Amino acid sequence: MRAPSLVLLGCVFACSLARPARANPLDAFGFGSRETAMAGANAADVQDFSANYYNPAGLALARRMELTLGYMNVDQSLYINGLNSGVDPVRALVGGLVAPGVIAGVPFAFGFAIHLPDDRLSRVRAEPQDQPRWELYDNRNQRLYLAASVAISPFPWLQIGGGLSFMSSTTGSIDIGGQLNIFQTDNSQVRSSVDADLTAVRYPEFGARVALSDKWAIAAVYRGQFQLGLSLDAVLHGNISSLTTAYYDLQTTSVNNFLPQQVVLGNSWEPLKGLRANVDLTWVNWSAYVPPVSEVNVALNIPPPKGGWPASVTPPTQPAPTSILPITMHDRIVPHVGVEWRAFESEHWEAFVRAGYEYDKTPIGAQTGETNYIDRDRHAVSLGLGGRAIELIPELPRDVRLDLHAQLSELPTGTTLKTSPTDLTGDYTAGGHIWNLGATLTAGF
Amino acid sequence: MRAQTALAHVSFAVLVAACSTLGDEGPEGLNLPTSGVGPFRALGSTEVLGVPPYVLDGTTSNYREPSALALDTDPSSANVALYVTATKTTRTGSSTVIMRSRADDARSFFGTAADPGAGDLPALVLQADEPWEGGSVHSPSALRVGATIYLYYAAAGGIGVATSSDGLTFTKHGAPVLATDAPLTWETTPPTQPSVAVFPSGLWHMLYAAANSIGEATSSDGLTWTRADGNPATPTIDPVFSPLPFDVTTLAPDAAPPFDSAQVADPFVSPRITAAGRLQVRVLYTGYDALPGATGRQSAIGFAARYGETGLLVRDATPVYSVGKHEAAPTLFDWSVGTMLYVGQNTSSPPVYTAVAGAIAPATITLAPPTTFPSGP
Repeated sequence: MRAPSLVLLGCVFACSLARPARANPLDAFGFGSRETAMAGANAADVQDFSANYYNPAGLALARRMELTLGYMNVDQSLYINGLNSGVDPVRALVGGLVAPGVIAGVPFAFGFAIHLPDDRLSRVRAEPQDQPRWELYDNRNQRLYLAASVAISPFPWLQIGGGLSFMSSTTGSIDIGGQLNIFQTDNSQVRSSVDADLTAVRYPEFGARVALSDKWAIAAVYRGQFQLGLSLDAVLHGNISSLTTAYYDLQTTSVNNFLPQQVVLGNSWEPLKGLRANVDLTWVNWSAYVPPVSEVNVALNIPPPKGGWPASVTPPTQPAPTSILPITMHDRIVPHVGVEWRAFESEHWEAFVRAGYEYDKTPIGAQTGETNYIDRDRHAVSLGLGGRAIELIPELPRDVRLDLHAQLSELPTGTTLKTSPTDLTGDYTAGGHIWNLGATLTAGF
Repeated sequence: MRAQTALAHVSFAVLVAACSTLGDEGPEGLNLPTSGVGPFRALGSTEVLGVPPYVLDGTTSNYREPSALALDTDPSSANVALYVTATKTTRTGSSTVIMRSRADDARSFFGTAADPGAGDLPALVLQADEPWEGGSVHSPSALRVGATIYLYYAAAGGIGVATSSDGLTFTKHGAPVLATDAPLTWETTPPTQPSVAVFPSGLWHMLYAAANSIGEATSSDGLTWTRADGNPATPTIDPVFSPLPFDVTTLAPDAAPPFDSAQVADPFVSPRITAAGRLQVRVLYTGYDALPGATGRQSAIGFAARYGETGLLVRDATPVYSVGKHEAAPTLFDWSVGTMLYVGQNTSSPPVYTAVAGAIAPATITLAPPTTFPSGP
C-alpha cells in the first residue's frame, strides 16, 4: 500500500499548489462523443480519456492503454431582437490517453486530456459592463484546456482519482514615452514597448467512485474554482513642446473568465443487460462569479507650465476610477440524464445507441438595470452512436472504437425589460439554439 | 510496437493541428440592441467632405435648429432632407427663415460651404409673412404623414404649421396651432421649438419649449391641439419635463451641477415600440446649466424618456452629446448603418458662427467615406 499512498500524497500536494483557478468549453458542451451523447451524466460511468474531466477516479477502471483523437464543432445561433449575435463557433480537436498499470498490486492509471481549439488558443475580452453579451457562450469557450490525472483502485469496489487542469492567463504592460512638439510635429518622437505573458493557471479536480454492485455505481466529484485574470498596464510619459511634462498611468485588471467550483453526484445503473441509465446532479457555485469587467484606474499628472496655464487652455482632470456594478448570480443544480443501449454484440463487433438530456437554468439574475449579461435557460438534447471492433485483424489495435454525437441546445426566447425608460440598450428579446456535432476515435492496445 | 507507432501518429496529427491554429479576431458586438439615442460620437475627418464634424455650414447663414426627414422608405437609404433655421441676409437687412437641404449619404448636404457648386444655397422653403409671426420663422419640425409633409415652425406668436407635397413648396395654415395660454402658470413665454410625431396609437404628439421647461400637446389631426398634463396629480397643467433642481450645498467639492439644471429646451420626440412591445417615448433635448444671458452658460444634448402615451419624462443623468460648443436643438435620422444626430453648434475656429454638426451612434462604428454632394436641395 505504500506506493498508492505516495501517489495519493502526490495528488494532494500537487492540488495544494493550485491557485484558485477559473470557465471552460467542457462545462458548456461536454467532452468526448460518448459522454456528450449521454449529456455528461458520466461521473460514475467513465473510464476513457474524458475521465480527466468527468471523474478522474474512472481512469482506474481502464484495463488497457487507450489513445483517443476526436473533433467537435459547435455552431451557436444566438439572437437578440431576432438578429444573430455572431457568437463565435467552438471548434476543437479533443483527445487524450489513458495508461493503466499496477503498482504494488494496486491498479493504477494515468490520464491526459486536451481540448485544442483550431481557431484560437485563448481570447481576451473585457467589454464595457453595459454592452450586451452572451455571457456564458461568447468569450468563455475560446480556451485551451489541458488536464492530467492519476487514479488508483485500492479495492475492487473503490476508485479514487485526482488531477490538475490548466488554462492560460494574460498579463502585460505597454510603455509609451517621448517628445511631443505640437508646434513642429517633425520633431516629435515616440517610443513604445510591450511586455506580455501568457501564463498558465490551474485548478484541481478530485473524484471517487464506489461500485455498490455489479450493476450499480455511484460517484462524487469536486472541481475547483478557476479564474483567468487579465492585467494590462499602460504608461505614457513625455514632454509636451518643452512646455510641460505629461505622465499617464493606466492600470486595468479584470477577470476574463471564471469557472465556478462544482460538486457532482453521479449514479449509474444497469437495469437490463446492455442497457445503462445514468443520472448526475451538478452543483455549480455561480454565486461566486466575478463579472468580466475591467477595473480601470488612471493616474494623470500634467503640471502647469511656468506662468500657469493660458486662459484658453483647460487642463484635463483626473478621470474617475471605474465603478463596477455587481452581478447577481445564483447557485444552480444541473441535472444530467443519459442512457446507453448496446444494440448489437458479437465476437468482434459491438454497437451502441445513446441519448441524454441536460437542463441548465440560467444562473444570471434579471438584467433590468445598466448591465446586460445575457443568458437564457438551456435544454440540451443529445443523441449518439458508437461502434467497437474487438481484435478484428492483427494489424489494428486490439480495440477500436468510434463514437459520434449530436447535441441540440435550445435556449427559449425570453424578454428582458429595462426598469429605466432612459436605458440606452432598452428592452430586448434573446434566445437561440446551439448545435454540437463531433466524433472521437479510440484505440486500445 | 503497435502502441508506439499509434502514439507517434497521434502526436503528429495533434502537432499539425496545433500549427494550423490561426484564428481571426472574430466578430464583436454584432447586432447589439440599442435604444437608438447614443451616446454619439462627432463625425471625423474621413466621414465628411468639409470640416468635421460639420455637415451644413455657411458663414453668414448660421444654419441651426435642424429637423431631419427621411426621403426614402428603404431602411438602408441615407437619403435625408434637413430643414434648418437660417439667417437670410439681403441688402436691406437680415431675417430668420427656414431652408431645406438634402444629402444622399446623410452627411454631404447640398449648399454647404464645402459644396463645389459655387453660389448654391439650400432652398428657402418658409419665411415670415403673417402678422402673428413677427417677422421671423424658425425651429422647424418636419414629418411625413401619408403623402403630405407637415412642417411645424415657431414664430413670435406661437407655433404654426405648413404643408407640402414635395417638401419644397409649403402652404401655411394661417393662425398658430398652439399659442400662448394665459392661465398656464409655467408657460411664461409663448410656446416655441416644436417637435411633432405620430404615435403608434394614431395620436399626434407635440413637445414644445416654453419658459425653461418642455410641455406637451396632443391632436387627432395635427391641426387642432390640446395641451397634455405632465402630472395629473396636480390641479394645474404641468410641463412634462423641467430642469433638474439641485442643492448646491450637496455638491461634492469638484463636482459640476447637472448639465440641465437651469433650462431644458429644443425637444426632439421619437416614439418607438420596444422589443417587449412597450411604447417608449424618447426625447432628446438641449440642457443648459444657466439661464439665458448668464456668463459662461454651457449646453449639452440630453436624453429623457418614458414608457406609455402620457406622463412625465425621466432624464438620463449623462448627456448623450457634449462638446462644449453651445450645441443645441438635436434631431435624429435612423438608417440601417446607425443613428445620425444633427445639432447646431459653434464652429471651432474664427470666425465663429453656428453650423449643423453631425454625430453617429453607435460610437464604435466608422462611416464609409462620404459620397458627392447632390445636385439640388
